[in-house]
Amino acid sequence: MDRLGTFALALSLALAAYGATAAIIGARRGRPMLVESARTTAYSLLVLVLAANVIMEVALLTNDFALRYVFENSSRATPVFFKVLSLWSADEGSLLLWNLVLAGYIAAVAFRFRRSRPETLPWALAVMYLVQVFYLILVLGPTQPFAAYAVAPPDGRGPLPLLQNHPLMAVHPPFLYLGFIGFTVPFAFAIAALLTGRLSDAWIRTVRRWVLASWIFLTIGLMLGALWSYGVLGWGGYWAWDPVENVALLPWLVATAFLHSVLLQERRGMLKVWNLSLAVGGFALTTFGTFLTRGSILSSVHSFAQSPVGPMYLGFLVVVLLGGFGLIAARAWRLRSEARFDAVLSREAAFLGNNLCLVLITLVVLVGTIFPLLDQALTNRQVTVGEPYFVETTAPVFLVLLFLMGVGPLLSWRRTTLDGLRARVATPAAAAAATLVVLAVAGMRDLPAAFAFGLAAFVLAANGQEIVRGVRAFARATGRRLVPAIAPAIARDRRRYGGYVVHIGVALAAIAITASSIFALRTDVTLTRGQTARFAGYTLRYTGERAVQQPQRRVLIADVVVTRGGRPAGRVTPSLNMYPSASEPIGTPSIHYGVLKDLYTSVIAFDENGNRATFRFFLNPGVMWLWVGLGVMALGGVLAAWPFGRRRGAVPAEPRVRELAEVAG
Amino acid sequence: MSDASSEATARHPTRLGGRSAAAVWIPVGIVVLIVALLAALFAFGLGRNPTVVQPVDLGKMAPGFQLARLDGTGTVSLGSMRGQVVVLNFWASWCADCIVENKALQAVFDRYRDQGVQFVGVSFEDQSGTARGFAKQMGMHWPLASDPGTTTAIDYGVTGVPETFVISPDGHIVAKTIGPVTYPELSEQIANAIPGGA
Amino acid sequence: MSGEGRGAAGTAAAAVVGVALVAAAAAILVIAARGAPAPTTLQERVRAVAVGLRCPVCQDLSVADSPAPLAQAMRAKIATELQAGTPPSAIRQQFVHAYGSWILMAPPRHGLSLVVWILPLALALAGCALAVVAISRWTRDRPGAARPEAAPAENLPGRPDAPDELSSSDRRLLERAVAASGAWEDPE
Repeated sequence: MDRLGTFALALSLALAAYGATAAIIGARRGRPMLVESARTTAYSLLVLVLAANVIMEVALLTNDFALRYVFENSSRATPVFFKVLSLWSADEGSLLLWNLVLAGYIAAVAFRFRRSRPETLPWALAVMYLVQVFYLILVLGPTQPFAAYAVAPPDGRGPLPLLQNHPLMAVHPPFLYLGFIGFTVPFAFAIAALLTGRLSDAWIRTVRRWVLASWIFLTIGLMLGALWSYGVLGWGGYWAWDPVENVALLPWLVATAFLHSVLLQERRGMLKVWNLSLAVGGFALTTFGTFLTRGSILSSVHSFAQSPVGPMYLGFLVVVLLGGFGLIAARAWRLRSEARFDAVLSREAAFLGNNLCLVLITLVVLVGTIFPLLDQALTNRQVTVGEPYFVETTAPVFLVLLFLMGVGPLLSWRRTTLDGLRARVATPAAAAAATLVVLAVAGMRDLPAAFAFGLAAFVLAANGQEIVRGVRAFARATGRRLVPAIAPAIARDRRRYGGYVVHIGVALAAIAITASSIFALRTDVTLTRGQTARFAGYTLRYTGERAVQQPQRRVLIADVVVTRGGRPAGRVTPSLNMYPSASEPIGTPSIHYGVLKDLYTSVIAFDENGNRATFRFFLNPGVMWLWVGLGVMALGGVLAAWPFGRRRGAVPAEPRVRELAEVAG
Repeated sequence: MSDASSEATARHPTRLGGRSAAAVWIPVGIVVLIVALLAALFAFGLGRNPTVVQPVDLGKMAPGFQLARLDGTGTVSLGSMRGQVVVLNFWASWCADCIVENKALQAVFDRYRDQGVQFVGVSFEDQSGTARGFAKQMGMHWPLASDPGTTTAIDYGVTGVPETFVISPDGHIVAKTIGPVTYPELSEQIANAIPGGA
Repeated sequence: MSGEGRGAAGTAAAAVVGVALVAAAAAILVIAARGAPAPTTLQERVRAVAVGLRCPVCQDLSVADSPAPLAQAMRAKIATELQAGTPPSAIRQQFVHAYGSWILMAPPRHGLSLVVWILPLALALAGCALAVVAISRWTRDRPGAARPEAAPAENLPGRPDAPDELSSSDRRLLERAVAASGAWEDPE
């Protein structure tokens, strides 16, 4: 088993190395056959890496404790579901999955460009193969997932308790990986453009949809991570500005910036160097993220993995940064811009503002995340850069972003007259003003939160209005009724409507985040069996503790009967889970999800054999809308990415013509 | 795709303006410099253990305490031990490292008990019953105290157990060990704290 | 699309925008004048202190948020101190004394840590400067359009949205495009 796995990986390494070599030689000597063989190598590589992953899964499911990885991360008592997940619950296994996703992306690129070949394809393939070579060396050298014992131990140690505590672990890491690794594609094509000197817009068009796919995966990954934090960690929140959360947010911010700035390059020839930098920066940030997580640089909830791969990641990061930004500095820095900018009151200006804000947030979060390291290196003290810092520094920028998200869709490309803007801004402005007035009358005291609500209303109204306007115009022009016109109207310009839908999702999420951070109620109470506590209109009666023995853990459940306004409102059952391998219990909160508010309960401790229990009760308003908002964002992304077929309708495809037509609109 | 790219190239011809050597090497040099600084920083980060919380500056006054003894025979207070070296050990029955350090602690206690060195064990986040049982089993013969509300541990900046402080006769914290103590290290810390050395 | 209808609609829109701006400004003033509420109950006062302190046994959670027993004990200690009349700043100082400045959730605003507080503002200013430089360059590059602002448009009320400085070839392209697409954007 172990030999077979190592063999598959070694063969994969050989194939990846061959692919890189063949692509480079083929491109330099002009041998299409060689390039073609480099392209098709991607499929065999995918099959081999997949085989290595399957071998590990089989070993996990068949309790093959002769494999060190299986011994350390699984046990006979581990439920089958969590055995499957054990593939990515520790460093070595998750690197296998990482390799699989990367090989999948290479194969997808090979397949996507099987007929239409961008001239940069050989170099892009070479870059992607080289990245794969690095990750394959990691699993063959310092981390060996298939390392084996001479004699198999009778039973394994089981996965880390925190990782086997919730089924969301099944989907959260794979989605993040899909998002992270997707950045390899734009990076590869950007490097290829730099190497070949084909720095026109071709590479941008090639990678745009790949970036969008990564963005969708990252959005879903971040959402699942937040759900996990909310549903498992028991502190009533969903985002802690933990270093590992931050490094997952950074590529997402860069991808969002990129998705907007490519439009400026496509339409107006602006920001060429900037876009190259975003592509390189996005990939460098994902590499930095893995380095930070696996190199155990900063302490974090997520430092599950302690491993010797840190120096290798660091070396790789240096190569990526030097290679990427060095090439940009050497070849593109003085790239002449053909850009033309007509007016400050234009969509271009809004997009520029959007990019400035997103990159600013990226840099601030990055600096804040690594500052403790810098401070310790220079002063040998330790400081914490935590939530208050990130909220204080990034919240104003997020508010500006919200404003731009509302005003951008109202502005035309090139130039908007004040009259034109006034007509389109009237409804959104009224919505924002109405929201603010209602808040003021209702006795609101938190000014930043009031801004957030007002701007969110502005964004909702502006983007909603633009969707309605577009559909109505289409219906009028084609003589259809409004409702039947929706689908074809949106199908004509999915990218634009997808963007509006994403904006609506962001506004919903902004409302949820603001509401849950300023209106949340919480209390700590210790209750004796039979005692009740009153909290936020609820009456909570602790009726006692019961223990449930599960194969892998013992669960102590607190039964709390909830009544509201004299009427029974169900029960909450927060629990503490005792794992044999953990000294301290791990809590599982009990959450009554609601459309407007969640009743969130966690138990902190049991005393006197369960006769007394200490609880934390939370009333979290609006959290449901965070999940809805993030889901809407992902849907908007899918909408924008979807049209794999040809565009329908008679929208002129020639960019210059399109641009002019939009000016007329 | 090839259509679009040739069209785009025609529209925005790629010009790599006048490229003197300086124009290439200055930006490249800046990139190299920044990457080198970042790499140095991260290499420093690799060389340390992020999970170890740095010990607080030593030499500050030890916070006073008066705690009920675990066996119910009165109280232990820091004030009453002024003039003697005090070894303050935070422990718990659920703590695996406390078992690890027990032998070393016993040996140091035996070595210094006649030299006027006071040992105090403060139980941390524990129930008195289980704590008593653990102490008996481990043979901890020095005064043991409970710490209701964990207030004393918080005053000392304890983040987990075991943690061991050495307090000089004039009441200053002169040494702190996070994690299990070893015989040579703790002996040396105590020796340094005894006036005139030992 | 007659000039008259457009003018009336435009006036109405301008009125709506004006009223909205005034109402929003008034609401913001009212909210700002109230100011953030001071914590009143003991639990709120405890939380106000505890959000600034890092839970030592968890990672990146504050004492206020953490469900860990030690954080619970710290909250209780903060409550005791507050009830004894210790001012919040002194309580924070006690924790710093015991644990070091590491216990504070945000770095202090002096010494080297000041850099991390100033940096966002410096970056924001640098970004704005960069944008201004880039925009002025792009605007200058453009032949025959030394117009950095859209301000002149203001002087031409009722001016149609389509720019009138289109070249004749552009105009032909535009007409072809509009004809081909069949008014796919709202013509107003």
